Amino acid sequence: MRRQRSGDGSLDDRVGIRLVVLRVLVVSLLVTLGARLWALQVLNGEHYRRVAETNRVRDVVTPAPRGLIVDDRGRALVRNRTSLVISVNRSVTDRQKDSGRAVLERLSSVVGLPVADVAKRIQYCSATVKPPCWNGSPYQPVPVAKDVAPSQALAVIEHPDRFPGVSAELQAVREYPYGALAAHELGYLSPVTQEQLDSDGGRRGFHNNSLIGVAGLEDTYDSALRGADGVQRLEVDRFGRVAGTASSTAPRSGDNLVLSIDAGVQQAVEQTLQKTLDSLGGRARTASGVVLDARTGRVIAMASLPSYDPSVFVGGISGSDYQALSDPANGIPLLSRAYQGSSAPGSTFKAVSTTTVLTNLGASMTDDYDCGPSLQIGSQTFHNFEGSSAGPITLHQALVISCDVIFDKFAYDAWLADGGLRNGRGPYPAANEYFVKMARAMGFGSRTGVDLPGEAAGSVVGRDGAKAIWTQLKDSYCRRAQNGYPEVADPAKAERFRQYAAEACVDGYLYNGGAATQFAIGQGQYLSVSPLQLAVAYAAIANGGTVYQPTLAKAVISPDGTGVMPITPKIVGRLPTAPEALAYIRAALHGVTSEGGGTAAGVFADWPNDTIPIAGKTGTAEVEGARDTSWFASFAPANDPQFVVVVTIPDSGTGAEYAAPAVKAIYQSIYGIGRDPALPGGVPPADLPKVEQDGTFTPVGAPPDQAAVPSTTPSGAGSAAGGAAAAAFTLTPGLAATGVAAVRALAGGVAVAGVRGEPAAVDSGRAQARARAPARAPVERGPP
Amino acid sequence: MTSPTALRSSPVPPRGRIGQLRDRASGRHSPLRRLDWTLQIAVIALSILGGLLVWSATRHREGDSGADPQLFLKRHLLNLAIGLVLASVATVVDYRILRAYAPFVYLGSLVGLVAVLLVGSTINGAHSWIVLPAGFQLQPSEFAKVALIVGVAMILGEKHDDRDTGIRLNPGHWDVLLVLGLAGVPMLLIMMQPDFGTFMVFVFVILGMLAVSGAPSRWVIGLILLGVLFGGAILQFHLLKPYQEARLTEFVQSDQNASSTGYNVDQAMTAIANGGVTGRGLFHGTQTQGQFVPEQQTDFVFTVAGEELGFLGAGGVLLLLGLVLWRALATALDSGDSFGTMIATGVVCWFAFQMFVNIGMTLGIMPVTGLPLPFLSYGGSSMFANLLAVGLLQNVRLRARSDPYAL
Repeated sequence: MRRQRSGDGSLDDRVGIRLVVLRVLVVSLLVTLGARLWALQVLNGEHYRRVAETNRVRDVVTPAPRGLIVDDRGRALVRNRTSLVISVNRSVTDRQKDSGRAVLERLSSVVGLPVADVAKRIQYCSATVKPPCWNGSPYQPVPVAKDVAPSQALAVIEHPDRFPGVSAELQAVREYPYGALAAHELGYLSPVTQEQLDSDGGRRGFHNNSLIGVAGLEDTYDSALRGADGVQRLEVDRFGRVAGTASSTAPRSGDNLVLSIDAGVQQAVEQTLQKTLDSLGGRARTASGVVLDARTGRVIAMASLPSYDPSVFVGGISGSDYQALSDPANGIPLLSRAYQGSSAPGSTFKAVSTTTVLTNLGASMTDDYDCGPSLQIGSQTFHNFEGSSAGPITLHQALVISCDVIFDKFAYDAWLADGGLRNGRGPYPAANEYFVKMARAMGFGSRTGVDLPGEAAGSVVGRDGAKAIWTQLKDSYCRRAQNGYPEVADPAKAERFRQYAAEACVDGYLYNGGAATQFAIGQGQYLSVSPLQLAVAYAAIANGGTVYQPTLAKAVISPDGTGVMPITPKIVGRLPTAPEALAYIRAALHGVTSEGGGTAAGVFADWPNDTIPIAGKTGTAEVEGARDTSWFASFAPANDPQFVVVVTIPDSGTGAEYAAPAVKAIYQSIYGIGRDPALPGGVPPADLPKVEQDGTFTPVGAPPDQAAVPSTTPSGAGSAAGGAAAAAFTLTPGLAATGVAAVRALAGGVAVAGVRGEPAAVDSGRAQARARAPARAPVERGPP
Repeated sequence: MTSPTALRSSPVPPRGRIGQLRDRASGRHSPLRRLDWTLQIAVIALSILGGLLVWSATRHREGDSGADPQLFLKRHLLNLAIGLVLASVATVVDYRILRAYAPFVYLGSLVGLVAVLLVGSTINGAHSWIVLPAGFQLQPSEFAKVALIVGVAMILGEKHDDRDTGIRLNPGHWDVLLVLGLAGVPMLLIMMQPDFGTFMVFVFVILGMLAVSGAPSRWVIGLILLGVLFGGAILQFHLLKPYQEARLTEFVQSDQNASSTGYNVDQAMTAIANGGVTGRGLFHGTQTQGQFVPEQQTDFVFTVAGEELGFLGAGGVLLLLGLVLWRALATALDSGDSFGTMIATGVVCWFAFQMFVNIGMTLGIMPVTGLPLPFLSYGGSSMFANLLAVGLLQNVRLRARSDPYAL
């Protein structure tokens, strides 16, 4: 009896209405899903499609062989060597029943490492997992042992059943045939950091575990040396199993870098500096030297001791090694004092001051000036070195015997002409500050722009600068004036410091005559130069007034030698000085080594002055709390300068005692006096070295002593693999990785402790410390 | 006049037994013709499509492990076949007879739920499965859904058909309390597994059936309020398992990546979005073939449709599911008696909730709960229960239309 519909309709309606509501609800749910589906698939699916793509595709990176760095003759300073590396592919081992534990245990006995060490090396780096760990792609084999013996590699290769996922490959790592030679200039590599990867945005082609140059030329020319890594895009599933290859690009080898550095000269400089330090019996621990081509601004040699062997960075430097290389107690071997450090140049600066007085102060080349024993300026008396007196002499002679008083007087008069202290009511016209301006014109006080990172700018402080420094340090002066120097043991010294601080607190903003005169003779707190800057300035005097931006790189040459991009030093300025004035100074500087009374005449007494006349200037900068810094700045031949050589040895003695003999020894090596010449004929090679068909360089005009230098043929290192292993590997000359065996020829791509050198930071810290040094250690009047 | 007699009161003159059967099978009022074929075809189409999707999601994994790549396809189709037999039984047996057996069905489901607590296995954090020999598993909570609907329909439909007075009465307070008591026992057992998703299916089925039954509104509103308060208390006092809470809070904060739940949803959405308008083509979805989406043949089967069939295909699946719900609602409206209406309503609430939660989960608009997508997801118990429910719908429709005086 179906009577409900016709009978009691109201009850049915109630149910019916609610069912209609339910129907509306169901439809709205479906519409919601449909709208969401539309939004996800049609409207903005692009983002997710990209995610899907990266989900699916894994990049396996084949590092490009890095370019060689060769000297002016094509001798390799940095090259690649093949290393047998045993790697573990975690996408294989992880899928084993015991997660590859048994394989690791067998492997540990083969490579002779504790199994825990092997396990550590293959764990993935993360915020909590610190090195040793792997920061590369999980699809890339993780190197666990490098430089293994062929027998060890064979043990792995011949038993794939016992070592699933383990492979032995030939990899390219950086090699330094000359050891520590030019370490500061060559630089080193370090694994890319996450920050670099993030900031790079793919522009420079970094990949996880890429090695990048972080110091020296490896840093400056990283993009040229790097080449382009090969990338194989593998299609994988969620478990990392490879389903196919989406695309594949072969690696492109990095370009080679030809330097103007000459390995022979560089060796001479480093050996000479080392001998000098040895002769000092450990008193002095640091020394540096620069050899420039005066005519082009190219750097022929640049060295700083203590140095280090850059091969410690190959495959990753350990924390303790890095600590040792940056420890001040060891002299901070990572820091190059040739271009990353600066200090007062002493009397070598008088060549600059002579340029100033001849250019700006109307000094005469023939008149005599009084080189008395002392000069009274206000309450201060400025003495000549050891109170010597030479009477009236010309500027020529003033340079030869290094007379302070004449330059003091010029500087004092110029200072007076600028308004002296300018202590009264202003306004004053702009100060001329000729000495400061000439110093800047010669490149002091700013970076030379050499193609090396972390260069020191040094400091040239004028009136404005002095006031700015005082504003910064005033509070510290005044505190010291109040509290004294309790940490200074000698009470007399402490009192002297305190008085200095008390004066500085009151009127330190005043640029006094003493500061001006000290500046002119290369002493004091307002002048600090790097050996490289001094060499650039002497090159300008030597070459007739051209200030160069020095460079180490001469050319970038493509791996096959067809593409050559020459690198020419830029001219950054010309001295506002008449050629006659510069010639006059050159003659005077020649007199230093050749005339009676010349400060370096004794050192060069046996020098063949007729054939290779040397011009130079000694410098002795006094440093509070240490022995003098010995300087010698020079060029040769004096009549037609080709080379500039600057040597400085802090904490040693006078310029004539240590630096000048070192410079002499360097010239002996360059010209071959009493030994084989490093640069036959006394000129750097004009032509670039040629690239051979196998990608190596043919040394051009190599002097006989270079025969002992190891071969530059990288494939020679393949012999390390041994005859037996050769069958298992594809040895590719120059490691132009194309074969499967060479696919993962990582350029030293071993997971390493990510300790990174930042000499630039060290340097700037030191430079600042130096600029502020007057705050605590007032510089006393020093000998010239 | 009750229906069993109506069933036999054919106007066609007797023509011998064979002839009668043929007439019954082909005649205008024959049961076969009166079946809801739209519903039936939609359901079978969805199930077969589900088989293809399950196949696509599993063929690589099975192949890799050395098993038959078509193992899951075959099992899915086997489940479909068994389910259709069960559905036929549920269709043929008059549901008004079924009403008499409802208490036994209900008790049977309770036995299953207790058994799973005693001898069950834990999969994905829920103790919901009884493992049978030969690789089969039984999930009693799926069958409990059917049992609950039948049981509740019995109570709420009873009062409607006062045969003596012919006056229909709405369920009273005692009926509601009885329903709550009846539902409370299996829900408690399900909470003990714990299977939050199935629990919520029960909640919405009860709410929907009560609301449609004409039970007092204050009960419905009160229960909703109670549910909200209860939900708040659960989150406040951490009554859920950590993984369940993580899924919910994950969803609320819509903050992905970190946990595995976020990973699931991320991969699911990636797969669906990867399909675009036309899809990557069956067996060509990179996410699917790369097995990036976890549980893809069961809870995340919709992502296969999304990636490989695209918006057109996945939208088609939505339309087919909508068609099933639409026909079920029509059955609820057209059913001659309250028991039938209640059963159809319960099935609609069950399917609608489960579809929305399951697909919403793959689209990132609902939290991750372990609810399968009806007909498409791989899983025997779920398939059987779903098809039993469809069989009940056919049963109701058959009996409603079978009464010539009803219209």
